[in-house]
Amino acid sequence: MMTEYITIYLADDDADDRLFFTDAFDELKINTKVSTFNDGVDLMNHLNDPDAILPNVLFLDLNMPKKNGLECLLEIKKNEKFNDIAIAIYSTSSTEEHIEETFINGANIYIKKPNDFETLKKILSEVVTINWQYHTSNLNKDNFLMRM
Amino acid sequence: MKAKQLYNSTLLLKVIFTISVAVIFFIAAITYKHITTLKESSKWVEQSHEINMELERLMSYIKDAETGQRGYLLTKNEEYLKPYLTSKSLINNSYKRVSKLTSNSLIQKINLKHLLFLINKRHNYLSKTLYLVQTEPNYDHKVLNEYLHVGRLTMDSIRLKIEEMSSTQKKILQNRQLEYESSMNYTPLLIYLTLMVTLVLITIAFIKINRDVVKLSKTVNTLSVANEVSSLAEIVGGFGSWQHNFETNTYTFSDNEYRLLGCEPQSFEASIEEFIKFVHPDDLEYVMENVKNMALLATLPSFTYRVIRKNGEIRHFRTIGRAVKVSSGERTYIGTTSDVTEEIYAKNFIEERNRELESNNKELTAFNYIASHDLQEPLRKIETFLSRLISSDFSTLSKPGQQYVNSIQTSANRMRTLIDDLLQFSRTTKTEKSLEKVDFNLLLENAKVELNQIMETKNAVIESNNLPTLKVIPFQIQQLFINIIGNSLKYSKENTPPIIKINSSKIAANSDKSLPANNHNYYKITFEDNGIGFEQEYATKIFTLFNRLHNKNKYEGTGIGLAICKKIVENHNGFIFSKGVLNEGSMFSIYLPFE
Amino acid sequence: MKAFIKFDFNTACKKILKEKLEECGIKHRILGFGEVEFLEKVSPEKLNLFSKLLDPYGIEIVKNQKTILIQKIKDAIVDMVFNENISVNVKSSVYLSEKLNYSYGHLSTLFSEVTYTSIENFIILQKIEFAKQLIISNELSLTEIAFKLNYSSIAHLSSQFKNSTGMTPSAFQRVIIKRKELINKNNP
Repeated sequence: MMTEYITIYLADDDADDRLFFTDAFDELKINTKVSTFNDGVDLMNHLNDPDAILPNVLFLDLNMPKKNGLECLLEIKKNEKFNDIAIAIYSTSSTEEHIEETFINGANIYIKKPNDFETLKKILSEVVTINWQYHTSNLNKDNFLMRM
Repeated sequence: MKAKQLYNSTLLLKVIFTISVAVIFFIAAITYKHITTLKESSKWVEQSHEINMELERLMSYIKDAETGQRGYLLTKNEEYLKPYLTSKSLINNSYKRVSKLTSNSLIQKINLKHLLFLINKRHNYLSKTLYLVQTEPNYDHKVLNEYLHVGRLTMDSIRLKIEEMSSTQKKILQNRQLEYESSMNYTPLLIYLTLMVTLVLITIAFIKINRDVVKLSKTVNTLSVANEVSSLAEIVGGFGSWQHNFETNTYTFSDNEYRLLGCEPQSFEASIEEFIKFVHPDDLEYVMENVKNMALLATLPSFTYRVIRKNGEIRHFRTIGRAVKVSSGERTYIGTTSDVTEEIYAKNFIEERNRELESNNKELTAFNYIASHDLQEPLRKIETFLSRLISSDFSTLSKPGQQYVNSIQTSANRMRTLIDDLLQFSRTTKTEKSLEKVDFNLLLENAKVELNQIMETKNAVIESNNLPTLKVIPFQIQQLFINIIGNSLKYSKENTPPIIKINSSKIAANSDKSLPANNHNYYKITFEDNGIGFEQEYATKIFTLFNRLHNKNKYEGTGIGLAICKKIVENHNGFIFSKGVLNEGSMFSIYLPFE
Repeated sequence: MKAFIKFDFNTACKKILKEKLEECGIKHRILGFGEVEFLEKVSPEKLNLFSKLLDPYGIEIVKNQKTILIQKIKDAIVDMVFNENISVNVKSSVYLSEKLNYSYGHLSTLFSEVTYTSIENFIILQKIEFAKQLIISNELSLTEIAFKLNYSSIAHLSSQFKNSTGMTPSAFQRVIIKRKELINKNNP
């Protein structure tokens, strides 16, 4: 499947969460390259850089200072250049309406940050795998919706 | 019906008056006729009398002529011819007079013609006789006798004729008398009749006028009392009334209208100019605008403004008015001015309080939400780091150490459940959630999927009849289903597969005793299970926040689930009730209103 | 005069591949040395054209048996799920082994090896994909969709849908509908 790495981005203002995230991917056997960003502005600046390598999957925390996850989501969806990126909202608990709103505005995946590490690993692995399936099997990415 | 209407209308008096006047004229006419007939009657008598007399005279004149002639014939003395000579003219005159007198009777006229003929004949023979005797000394005695004979016959005829005429005239007179009498006969009757009718009419009129007067005085009485009451009402109610007569452009203010302004009743001339002297300068333009509308609108909608009383006090007034029809036909506007100062202050006070409460509420809700939400973060970290610790280093811990870590984990889990439930509770607020039409069968299916694992573990069965589609907040009702069914599953009997029956029915307004009688229709949905049940005395307590009937070691839970259900149901203006039988099962009934 | 040239074989080939792929309009991903992943189905004509373009550079396309077979399995599964004419009672294992002329065990092992996921999972993935398409088309009710896809009940469909995507079919439907509304609102 993947002899080349999968590019993963994470935007989260919490250092611990970033640590969990990178540690999880370290322990997974998938070949990934993970980049983390501390806030929305940082993320968007990087994405908008013409030389940037775009990620396969982008994990977005919702509560970030300066520019929050939803704002980033809207901005990304407006730009055709980012159409191939699978966007996963990675957040602490939200209301049903809020979760629905992220999907409506273009998110592909919604992940509620889990309480334990093993679950996190499992979720991340599944997300990446399914995303790869979509990629290789020519499935319609617009219908790619997942909730974990 | 018509008669009664007629009786009651004012037209009746006019009619009676007209009839009375007519009757009077009628009587006058009759009287006049009476008198003229009387006059005429006496005239007839006189006339007849005169005719007879004249006829007698005529007769005597003719006799005189005859006698004269006779005398002459006897004596041949010319002296005896004198009456004969004068008699012609006398007879003529007399005849003329009779003719005049009888000119109005055809019969008499005819008779008169005959008479004339006879008189002329007599005369003829008289003169013939005289001529004979005078002119011929040797006249034929036969001829003379013949002349005298004819003469005598003629005389007889004349006498007869005159008698005829006389009697005819008597008859005529008699007829006239009869006529007069007959016509005079019905007159009294007529007069008595008219008298009766008039009396009746006058009586009716009198009765009516009397009644009207009584009614009028009663009305006047009532009016004066009403006036008193209205003045009193104005004082008690704190309002005044006013009138505006458009035709004369005058205003009338009630006494209290003045008192409201802090002035003595009728202390100044009622007018707009005087009134607006009291209006607060900031509201002046507004008031004048509305006053102008009086001329345009049939109903002046109420407007509120401030006035400054004579003593400097500021009061709030509300004025309202409308056009009325008065019997005189002049365009009039009436209205009231109420002192609503207390009302305005109370309203402002309440609004202020409401704002306070609302902002308090918002703060509390926000606090509640943020507290639950933000508490999650550190808890999650604890749990995650703990799990990492356990997975990597658990084995290296000492036995007590391992126990401690386990206890930490248990407590963390407990806290997690609490915070999750609190968060859920704080999210079931009503504000700004929109209602959508949702098929409850779909919600049930989703709930089943959500609870799939427990259902499979316990071999649970859920039966339901066709559930309705209602306008609700979808996520909340979804949560409601999950909570209630989840509860039934959790509190199932050991080793007994839970069977949960869900039923819905329509409840017509005011027909269910457990609901208040508020004329709303409700849908009733019941959830019945065969679990461990509960004592009925706790039926309302179980909906209280954090209330539990079992300790946390036996059954996991925070005691928020049902409180959340109650809140959701109340958000939808519905009701929830529970019924339990220990060791047999429970039933939860929810009522949701629908149009 | 002489110039000494040092060249990076890797980079040079990659550049040529990329150029030619773009010329043919094939979406691709170049994986390391010697492997190109096509990100879309490439018609034989296009493949031919590509080959021809690479010819002058001495670059050849090696036909990998495994990849071809995997693709065939995938195609067969897609066909099985999306095609209505295939009898509903045929077990997928039987159908696949008959269609591709290999034992199911062999196919299964190969598939897992290359794609790191099982045939069963892939079938479920495709079924759910089909269900999603049907939901979006809005022509059938959920019950009808469950029936069409051979689920024993709508509960079964909901259950598998939720397992796969984490949301119920109705939740999915809501999101799709609201997405459409949002698009309509923004582009009237």
